[in-house]
Amino acid sequence: MKEAVRIQQEDFSQDEEVAALKGSSKRMGGIGTFIGCARDFSEGREVEQISFEAYGSMALSEMQKLRADAIEKFSLLDARIVHRIGTVQGGDNIVFIAAGAEHRVAALEACRWIIDELKQRVPIWKKEVTPQGDAWVVPHP
Amino acid sequence: MINVLFFGPVAERIGNNQVTVAYRPGIRMQDVRDELAAQYPQAFEIVCFAAANGEHVRDMSFPLADNSEVAFMAKFSGG
Repeated sequence: MKEAVRIQQEDFSQDEEVAALKGSSKRMGGIGTFIGCARDFSEGREVEQISFEAYGSMALSEMQKLRADAIEKFSLLDARIVHRIGTVQGGDNIVFIAAGAEHRVAALEACRWIIDELKQRVPIWKKEVTPQGDAWVVPHP
Repeated sequence: MINVLFFGPVAERIGNNQVTVAYRPGIRMQDVRDELAAQYPQAFEIVCFAAANGEHVRDMSFPLADNSEVAFMAKFSGG
């Protein structure tokens, strides 16, 4: 089985990830998922590609800590986080998060919390490739 | 020797993804930052985070050991 936390170039399968999550416990009554995708338009410009760079070892370790923190904070039964790096096209998947809990509220809240924390804690940067040139993205506060 | 890593927008402004700084007993994160910020002021304008050996460092008085791996990083934009 694939690791619950991964950084990879290739796309992921939501079905495989959810099946792996469900396989970890039959007490799971709710699963919240989030998929972040590449938009082909940003800040008034067309975006042809998005390129991701990570501080790989630290990003993986921060994502593992984030999963453990979420499991503890929301009493989850399991959670999975997958982030792609390299170059993606408009519409492609970027990040997948799944949180499984006994009840829906914890699953949904954990999923939202994980993506918000990931953006604050995990050293990954994106560069948008546009017809006007390339630009590193400056995050919104 | 202290190995300093740069990524993404910071690496682009520096024109390199790695430099070394000579180790001396008692050297702290702030000392490394000050030395490099003087050399690469444009890059350090966008530095928001620091890490030592893959862990976030918020207290810049953090003491560094010889052969430490340090990173100075711009605000993250993953997800």
